[in-house]
Formats: sequence, C-alpha cells, structure tokens
Amino acid sequence: MAHGVMLMSGGIDSPVSLHYLLRQGHEMTAVHMDNRPFTDDSPLEKVLDHLQLLRARYQQRLPLYVLPHGPTQIALMRNTDRHVGCVLCRRFMWRSAEKIAEREGATFLATGEALGQVASQTLANMRSATAAVELPIVRPLIGFDKQEIEAVAKEIGTYGISTRPGLCCQAVPDRPATRSSLVQILHEEERIDVDAILDEVIRHATVM
Amino acid sequence: MTYSSLRLCSGRAAYESVPTPRRSLDLAKIRHRLEADGVVVVDARVLLIARLEREVTIARDGRILIKSADAREAERLLAQVLSLVGT
Repeated sequence: MAHGVMLMSGGIDSPVSLHYLLRQGHEMTAVHMDNRPFTDDSPLEKVLDHLQLLRARYQQRLPLYVLPHGPTQIALMRNTDRHVGCVLCRRFMWRSAEKIAEREGATFLATGEALGQVASQTLANMRSATAAVELPIVRPLIGFDKQEIEAVAKEIGTYGISTRPGLCCQAVPDRPATRSSLVQILHEEERIDVDAILDEVIRHATVM
Repeated sequence: MTYSSLRLCSGRAAYESVPTPRRSLDLAKIRHRLEADGVVVVDARVLLIARLEREVTIARDGRILIKSADAREAERLLAQVLSLVGT
C-alpha cells in the first residue's frame, strides 16, 4: 500500500474520499489549508472531528498538517485577476500538499473532488490547478454524484460534522471562471512571488 | 444609501446586509476611518475584514457580513460598522 497526502476542507466530500483510501489500506497524512480570516474556525474544527472519527474507525495515526492560507489569499486578491482566483488558490493548496508529501515521504496526493460540482471542479480548472504539481493525484469520488457522497458520509458518521454551521469562503469572486487557460494562470502568477509565499506557508505549518 | 435587514447566510454562521442601491465603496477611505478608531483591518483590496468584537467583512460592492450567528449581536455590530464607515 502507498502513502498519500489528503487535502481536507471540513466539507462533506473529503472525509468520504479519505474513508475509501483508508479502507484500501493506504497510509494517509491529512493537510488542512487554514483559510482564516476568509472563513471562521468551523472548517478546522470539522476537520479535527472528521479525523478523530476516522482514526478510531481505521486505527491509523492520521497526522494533520494545518497550513496558513489566509496570507496567500490576501496576496492573490491584491495582485491577481479575481475571476481566476479559485484556480490560483487551488494551485497553492496543491503545491502545499506536495511539499508536505515530500516531507512525509508520500507518493501521491488526494482530494474529495467530484467532476463538475463547483466552479473549481470543472475539467479545465482542474487541469490548470493540478499543473502546479508533479505527484499523481487520486480522486476516489470523481464519478460520484452528491447524493451518493452524502449517503456514504451518513453511513460513516461524518455527514453531521460536515453540515454543522460554518462560514463559506469570503475570497470566492462573484463570477469565478469555469474555463481557465493555463497560459492565463501562469501569466497571473507572474504578479506574485510564488516561492516566497509557499516558503512562508510551509514555515508556519503546525502538526496536530 | 440604506442597508437591508440582516439575513442569515446559507452556512448559518454569519449575517449579511446589502446596500440599496448597490454602489461601490471607497475601501481605502473606510480602512483609514476604521484604523483611526483603533480597529485592526485586513485589507484584501476587494474587501476589508475589520476585527471588532467579531470579524466583519466589508466588500467593495457594499455588502457587509458579520461573523456571528447571534442576530442581536449582528444588529449591534452592523450599527457600529455603519457609524464607523459613515455610510
């Protein structure tokens, strides 16, 4: 079995996706991008509760890296085109997860993405976002519809945690692009110091 | 410009008020007013996050979001923000 890094948001999908990978016997490390002040404390609290439940179910250590994402969002909002903000944000999440994978000796990345659920999950945007990293990306829920994911979440006990009150991301633009081009994304990233931002994110990582 | 009554957001963790008519706010001016009053402000260009008793987001299009699920507290903080930003 392999060692992977799972991006955890606190939503309905990521704990279900993690459940499938753990059930297959993979060793997993979780990463949560802490989006405060563009959200509230609830996503982190939900991730902590999801992991507590899945640790008990699978008797796995499941370390959690919490990485600051608010300063990255501020840099993106100040310096780049808001329409592609979600793709740029996502690229930093992938890059951060890949850095943690390097540190942990993990060989793949994973998410709870399902095709076409939200703007950031169109095929064009997924391609633009994941071009930022080299490790293979595993998406156990890619062909699931929302009802199927919710049914599994209820079965494993994570649904009630995911649906507790919580603030949506305040950094999402009014009309996020659904078909970004990689050329445009790379052009936008020339306006910021990607390496410096990423170094700061990793430097402030905490393990829980 | 007047503000609508507060509406609980879909995530049930914050209240939002929108201006009528919609108009673009001068966030730089509002930031200076808030900071002059001792409020810590995060400036993300298209929105400000003011650290009052609770965090309050002021968007460039005039929307104000208060991170509280308590309607009375949100009303009180909205009044405080509107008096500080002078709208």
